[in-house]
Amino acid sequence: MTSEAAAGVRPKARAEGSTLRRRFLSFLLDWMIWGYIAYGVMYLLNAYWWTVPLERYYSTLTLPSWGWPLAVLGTLEMAVWSRNLGRSLGLKAFGYEVWGADGKPPTVGQRVKRALLWHLSVLPLGAGFWSSPERPWHDRLAGTELHVLPSSPAPKRRKALFSQWGIMSLLLIALTIWLGWLIIKIDPRVLIRRWDEGSRIWLEMLHPDFRYFARPDPAFELRNLSFSILDMAVVTLFMALLSTILGAALAFPLSFLGARNVMGFNPAGWLVYFVMRGLFNIFRSIDTMLWAVIFAVWVLWGSPLAGVLALTVHTIAALGKLYSEQVEGIDPGPVEAVAAAGGSRIEVIRYAVIPQVAPSFWAFTLYRWDINVRMSTVIALVGGGGIGDLLFYYKNQGDWPKVGAVVIVIVAIVWAMDYISGRLRERIV
Amino acid sequence: MAEPYLVVEHLTKVYERGQVLALKDVSFTVEKGEFLVVIGLSGSGKSTLLRCINRLVEPTSGRIFLGGVEITRLSAREMRKMRRKIGMIFQQFNLIKRATVMTNVLTGRLGYNPTWRTLLGLFPKEDRELALKNLERVGLSDKAYVRADELSGGQQQRVGIARALMQEPELLLADEPVSALDPATSHSVMQYLEQMNREDGVTVLASLHFLSLARRYGTRIIALKEGRLVFDGPPEAIDDAKFKEIYGEEAEQVEVR
Amino acid sequence: MNGYPDGIVKEPPEWLSRRRLLDALILRLKGAGQRLAIVLLDMLAIGVLWILVSYIISWHVYGVIAYTLVPWWLFGVGVVEAAAVWESFGRSLGHRLARKELRPRQGGKSTLGQRLVYYIAWHITVLPMVGLLASPPWHERLAGLSLVPFSMEGKKPTPWWRTSSGLFMAVFLCAAVAAAVSVTMDKESLTRLFTQAGRTVKFWKALFSPDTSILLPSIRDLVVTIFMAVIATSFAVVVAVPLSFLAARNLMRGPIGRPIYTVLRGAMSIIRSIEPVIWAIIFLVWVTARRAPFAGVLALWVHSIADLTKLYAERLESIDPGLVEAITSTGAGRLQVLRYAVVPQIINPYISFTLYRWDINIRMATVVGVVGGGGIGQRLYFYLKNLAWQQAGTVMILIVILVWAIDYLSARLRAKLA
Ligand SMILES: Nc1ncnc2c1ncn2[C@@H]1O[C@H](COP(=O)(O)OP(=O)(O)O)[C@@H](O)[C@H]1O
Ligand SMILES: [Mg+2]
Repeated sequence: MTSEAAAGVRPKARAEGSTLRRRFLSFLLDWMIWGYIAYGVMYLLNAYWWTVPLERYYSTLTLPSWGWPLAVLGTLEMAVWSRNLGRSLGLKAFGYEVWGADGKPPTVGQRVKRALLWHLSVLPLGAGFWSSPERPWHDRLAGTELHVLPSSPAPKRRKALFSQWGIMSLLLIALTIWLGWLIIKIDPRVLIRRWDEGSRIWLEMLHPDFRYFARPDPAFELRNLSFSILDMAVVTLFMALLSTILGAALAFPLSFLGARNVMGFNPAGWLVYFVMRGLFNIFRSIDTMLWAVIFAVWVLWGSPLAGVLALTVHTIAALGKLYSEQVEGIDPGPVEAVAAAGGSRIEVIRYAVIPQVAPSFWAFTLYRWDINVRMSTVIALVGGGGIGDLLFYYKNQGDWPKVGAVVIVIVAIVWAMDYISGRLRERIV
Repeated sequence: MAEPYLVVEHLTKVYERGQVLALKDVSFTVEKGEFLVVIGLSGSGKSTLLRCINRLVEPTSGRIFLGGVEITRLSAREMRKMRRKIGMIFQQFNLIKRATVMTNVLTGRLGYNPTWRTLLGLFPKEDRELALKNLERVGLSDKAYVRADELSGGQQQRVGIARALMQEPELLLADEPVSALDPATSHSVMQYLEQMNREDGVTVLASLHFLSLARRYGTRIIALKEGRLVFDGPPEAIDDAKFKEIYGEEAEQVEVR
Repeated sequence: MNGYPDGIVKEPPEWLSRRRLLDALILRLKGAGQRLAIVLLDMLAIGVLWILVSYIISWHVYGVIAYTLVPWWLFGVGVVEAAAVWESFGRSLGHRLARKELRPRQGGKSTLGQRLVYYIAWHITVLPMVGLLASPPWHERLAGLSLVPFSMEGKKPTPWWRTSSGLFMAVFLCAAVAAAVSVTMDKESLTRLFTQAGRTVKFWKALFSPDTSILLPSIRDLVVTIFMAVIATSFAVVVAVPLSFLAARNLMRGPIGRPIYTVLRGAMSIIRSIEPVIWAIIFLVWVTARRAPFAGVLALWVHSIADLTKLYAERLESIDPGLVEAITSTGAGRLQVLRYAVVPQIINPYISFTLYRWDINIRMATVVGVVGGGGIGQRLYFYLKNLAWQQAGTVMILIVILVWAIDYLSARLRAKLA
């Protein structure tokens, strides 16, 4: 904190390049919060007052057509007034505070004036911001200023819970939980009412049936082969292994195309970089399980190949992103040194980049191996093969003791692999 | 002799990021075999100047000639060829930390070997022998297969020197080669540079922080201040007044023995 | 000196003092542990390779699945002997990983005779294990060899294909990949992979021509998914924060604390290693499929508790003890220390972990839907199962947008907290 601030005079707003954008985002945040509150209120009215059947109308708003503009305008007004009459969440989140131009807290009159004048400033296409974005008309006419506070905590004037943003945060949390409770139809009483069914599963699973651990189960056949739990566990590990190796091998070269410092700063480099990063992100955000459905329909339902392909695709995307971020974070010194010795770009990669990123690449690959083991235990659910096949087969039979045995084996596998990969990662780093 | 070995004419560099004027119209020449020391406060543009000479940094305007060739007009490919003849050592050593000393030294031969060989790490036998010889010269022959990050700072800088030696350079750029080292080690590293200068006839451009080191090793000194050349002359010519001009009023001379 | 003239009072020899004895014991245990780890590692590596090779042979040659191809006792003897030979006559994988090597105590190179003695003595030392407690262990003493840290100083490295460990690893990797390929890739699936690509064309097309008629109900499901993640995360935090204090090694000391720590961490890591999907199945049976989202939330909740407790506790374990010392030295009580030395250090990481988990829960919530856990996942699975590719593609776009937005938001917020 500067000595100025300690003396009670607030530091002036820093003239930032993106002032207007930040201001707009901060306002947008407030508006969205009020929109969310309106949504919540409507939902609760729907649920309790108008008694619309929940089954059909969860998260639906029954609003007459003229209600929409009203809601938009109403929330807008609420946002404006909440920003002016106190420190709203949007102001707080972006570190803004309204202050009088004379360096004192604004009076109530000034606050009201500012809220009213806001309309004058914004409604004519934001004319008030044209002349000086830092201090638009409504600030100037009301004799106020919007200060950006330094990121270190400002001297508190009021306990958080009694300020507007504090109350607002509490309200939002409460509203969210209330809404969630209704939307998801949470009903803890069911857990008790159906306690007998629930406890029966647990009890049966805790008396696992290991008869078919090493001996193939005659009742369970896949592609004309009988499998024991052990066999399926091995298959699962192989699926994880293959997809990790394939994924890492493909992600490795691609990651350099997705690293800004390697691709250079010419237009072609930028293009490749953006395409690569975009692909990584898209493929990453579709979960392995969903990929598995696609590949299962494509290849064969229940074939381990479908699982391997799904895991591989997701691994490439996830590792590609992690790898390229590592490449971007290297120390440029060795790069300079190799270039200064007359190395070409590919030699720079080979001698200055790869040695630097190798340990973290290994660590990420091991981490991914860990995830792939976890995923491959359940990917059978969507036709991906592996030990999950047994799990879901026994579950559909209602044979819970065998389900228990399979779950125990899964826990053992995941645990062991977690431990090994953790130890190896420790050694590398 | 018609033309000096290295000619820098009206060199200007503006960093686009932040619009920093790092070098302003700097001109000077260097004869073959000189040991030229560049001094100046940090931020005065020493590193930028050295990096412009091997075009690790692209000059904004101005021309640089090396042995009659206009470096500033070479294509990227030709420049890589040219860099073989320009060795460089760095303040932070810039070694490949997780590779062996041998690999680090061999990277000095990258410009001499076809890419497919270097990618596979297949350096010719002569290069490996040369590497061992150069390591012996800097007194590190028994560390050849030790990882570079297991060495001390002075040893690492000596590996850097061996790497530069591998290039069989005509010109050596040394960007604050001893700033990260303690005084005793500094002298040993500087003596290797002096040896290269005297025995192999390598022209050396070194930026240094301590005036005492500059006086001891340099045959000529140039000084930069806020990107401008403010002094060019023999070491003895820097008196107290000149010193204050370069380093500012409050500066005191510090001796390194 | 004890004040008496020399030689009057005999002090016990120095090595007999309690500290010296304890030190010696610890040293020996450490040495024995390290050598044992090396042996076990070698045996594990050899055993797994054996199993892999037999697996490939039995799968391809006999068309059955078998793991050792020989009686189990033969397998055991084989593995032990192979490890003994490897360690005696070469630099084994275990040696390499422990960065150790066998060198004659007098220096120079070891002879074949020394190695032979070492090999024979290995059996009487390592197998009953007591011999390892001697320092140096018997087999090393008899052979005149000692296990010393390996150093590259003044040496030329051997290329990997000339070392036993390098060759072993190569063979091991090849065997593992070969076994994995033969198990996961049967001919039928492979041919279908190349011939049946057409089946998904509709899906890829749909990514560019979404079916807007299902947009509204899909967005409703999306809202449910978001709420599932939010509710599961927030209720998990409420449980995980107090649990994390009980699961932190540095806070739980003493005869009561340590068992609590051990039990909690063990339970958490068991719960964590069961995927939310499996939890969802169990809970679906319990609360019935009519309340699918509730089952999904319960599954995410349980898994999040375990995950967050571990993350939180690990963070607690790495707090700076200096600050705790400083506050304690001012005479603060336990709770005051907690409030002024511990909480300030953990509050931001806790929030950051929570956001991270929320991010994961959004993804997981879509997946949990697949088993019938409600939300957008259930809808997507319905379309995919019915080969309604266009609708599936539309839902997929929505999911990508949602996951992207949340990912970005949580990364930005976390960067701010760091
Ligand atoms: N990559 C860069 N981008 C922007 N500005 C830079 C960059 N590198 C150096 N500068 C600026 O250029 C000026 C000269 O820097 P430099 O040549 O490193 O000085 P010296 O080596 O003498 O300390 C400094 O003001 C520095 O901030
Ligand atoms: Mg510099």
